[in-house]
Amino acid sequence: MKKVLAFVVATLIMVTMFAGVSAVAESSLAGKSVTLSILGIGGWKPSSLAQEMGSELFASYAKQKYGYDVTVTFAEAPFDSLFQKAATSLAAESSEYNLIISDSQWLGALSEPGWIVQLNDLIAANPGLNVDWYSKSASSAYQIYPDGTDKIWGLPQEADVLIMYVRADKFTDETERANFKAKYGWDLPADKSNAAWEDIDFVKYGQICEFFTRPDQNMYGTTIQYSKIYDYLTGSLYPYFWSAGGEVWDPTTGKVSGVLNTDKNAEMLALAKSMMSYCPPGAIDVDIGGIVENYTTGKAVTAWQWAAMGSTMNVEGTDTWGVILPGYRKEDGTVNRCSSLGGQPWVVNAYNDADQMQVVTDFLNWWYSDETQLEFAKRGGSPLGKNVINSEGFEDLQPWFTAYKYMMQDGNSKDFWHAPAYAELLAVQQEAWSAFMAGTDGSVATAKAVLDDIAAKQDAILAK
Amino acid sequence: MAQVAVPEAGKNSPARKIGRVQQFFSDDKRFLLVILLPVVLFFLIWNALPTMWMVGMSFREYSLTSATKIAHFIGLDNFVYLITSADTWSALSKTFLFVVGGVFFETVLGIMLGFLFWDSSKMPGRRFALTLLFSPMVLAPIAAGNYFRLMVNPNFGVINYLISLFNGGKAVELLTNASLAFPTCLCVDIWMWTPFMLMMTLAALGSVPKAELEAANIDRLGWWQKFTHIILPHGKYILMLGILLRTIDCFKTMDLVWTMTTGGPGNSTELLGIGLYRVAFQSLNLGRASAYALITLLIAIAFTSIFLFVLNRKNSAEEA
Repeated sequence: MKKVLAFVVATLIMVTMFAGVSAVAESSLAGKSVTLSILGIGGWKPSSLAQEMGSELFASYAKQKYGYDVTVTFAEAPFDSLFQKAATSLAAESSEYNLIISDSQWLGALSEPGWIVQLNDLIAANPGLNVDWYSKSASSAYQIYPDGTDKIWGLPQEADVLIMYVRADKFTDETERANFKAKYGWDLPADKSNAAWEDIDFVKYGQICEFFTRPDQNMYGTTIQYSKIYDYLTGSLYPYFWSAGGEVWDPTTGKVSGVLNTDKNAEMLALAKSMMSYCPPGAIDVDIGGIVENYTTGKAVTAWQWAAMGSTMNVEGTDTWGVILPGYRKEDGTVNRCSSLGGQPWVVNAYNDADQMQVVTDFLNWWYSDETQLEFAKRGGSPLGKNVINSEGFEDLQPWFTAYKYMMQDGNSKDFWHAPAYAELLAVQQEAWSAFMAGTDGSVATAKAVLDDIAAKQDAILAK
Repeated sequence: MAQVAVPEAGKNSPARKIGRVQQFFSDDKRFLLVILLPVVLFFLIWNALPTMWMVGMSFREYSLTSATKIAHFIGLDNFVYLITSADTWSALSKTFLFVVGGVFFETVLGIMLGFLFWDSSKMPGRRFALTLLFSPMVLAPIAAGNYFRLMVNPNFGVINYLISLFNGGKAVELLTNASLAFPTCLCVDIWMWTPFMLMMTLAALGSVPKAELEAANIDRLGWWQKFTHIILPHGKYILMLGILLRTIDCFKTMDLVWTMTTGGPGNSTELLGIGLYRVAFQSLNLGRASAYALITLLIAIAFTSIFLFVLNRKNSAEEA
């Protein structure tokens, strides 16, 4: 009996070993040492998580599953210069960066010259990459170019959306609540649930900001990005336009005039400018870091900030709620809200050699496993897979995930152009809007003139 | 006595080689050519070719975000766009104001400080004071810009804290107020580059012959007469060179202001250098950026030529 048992055990061990060897041997990289080079955004947590998790987790995973050693390296550049860094390297047909964390607007500019790989075939060959996404509109924004086609150029590295962070201590303080009720006749939201914030429109939000703006106490109602760097101001303005039913261009005709420069958008632009009076001094220069600074030092009671920055939005000794953005109250009394979509897709360098493509494929397969995505969420990243977002306990992982999940729903957030001319379109409006915000005349008429000017310039750019 | 056999120098012996090299360089023209060749090559590769490329590109439509498109020849379109754009003229006028204001105050302050430190070897703490005064000039403009950006921050900047002590506790938005941002940037530029004019002034004053000054003292000439008849005639060339260098440098200012305001608020500090950066690296329109750079280059050349012409005319008049 003992001999039989020993034979069975020995056989099992042999089978297991062979199975392991055959699994390892399947990879063409088995036994090799390779480098996976990622280019991402400097000082941006979701980007650095890719490197952190890649080095910590993927390296051991690749060794165990595929039998090769991988070193994950990470190069970075700030938001406003990352495209230059990527484009100049790709234009030189270099495989310096195997995998690039791109902005969704760049898909057109990166794909048109053939610098990045169209991923349809890769996804077809790797079922693990054919993820069931939580939001169809968001996944399209990160993947598809041209809009409306089925050409996939990217995979969501992290999803993101502009949400609001608020000081729980201020909103739950009984005296503040009573004073607010006495002044405005309605109650401040009492918790972070979506239900508590769903009725907050821009008018009510303005009242909240006005109430908490107390320069003598060095306290202000809000902090919002008005910086002219990259797309910071644009990202803050679009929720006003979109929530009020406005648009910024017609992607089917490629026209801006008559779409951007409407009276309603002008009214919203003027409203956005008026909110500066509730911001701490220096509002026009405030970027992502400025929001963190204003909020974490207790100067602002509420803050419009990306979900991706949630882990940094803490005020010592108090709780922070991540809540949904205010919206526009329609004639039927309901509040419509549509935020700006943030986030970045992975794009794959078209000049990768076979080994580099293999490690990129293995990495992406690993990245989109539910376990990795859940780990990403636990560390503060924002996944887009439906399985993970809908999994039990997801909203409890991070204080801002309830708002994130709500605002990522189809229709609650949008992305802007993916056209190759995005950089010129963006520069034109950033410049004009910044000048409007800096000016002393915040009237709707002036706002309309600004939008007219932008529309004419953007039409000329798109007509080229 | 045993004789030592001296081997005849072979064809490839070191002595012969040295001789050939000496012979090669004995021709002055050849020597000059060899000496100049690296410089000429460097100039061709790093200056002439990129400039020619830039000139060619300025007549074409080419964007980094549409890299598949051929750079189409579009004639003068880029130049027409820039010349008819209000943004270009706005940037140009601000740049002129920046150059005139900056160089004027730097020169006046530099000359005043120069006279203070002239012939002051016995002044206590002279070296220390000069080291402190020169230190802004050796900072990278990007570092200086960021440094001041933080110091004047209305929420936590030390300069704004000091201002608030005399302003009823209120901070002043020095860089985020459209009317104050430009003068604030100008002040930082003056702070940074006055030491350069101080250095040039000290060099200019050092070139004044002591004998003439002593003679002036014996003749009991007044301070103003000494300045106009002795110091200025001798020192003005070095001083003018300093002003010329500062004018060219100030005209190119980009990094200092960019780090402080990124050209804002609005476009209140958008100098030509920032406008050019924006077209090239934000709009990524390389054709138009080349035209922008060419216009900037031509203005700088014109500036310098006028300056040198005036200087040379004065010299000729004096010599005559």
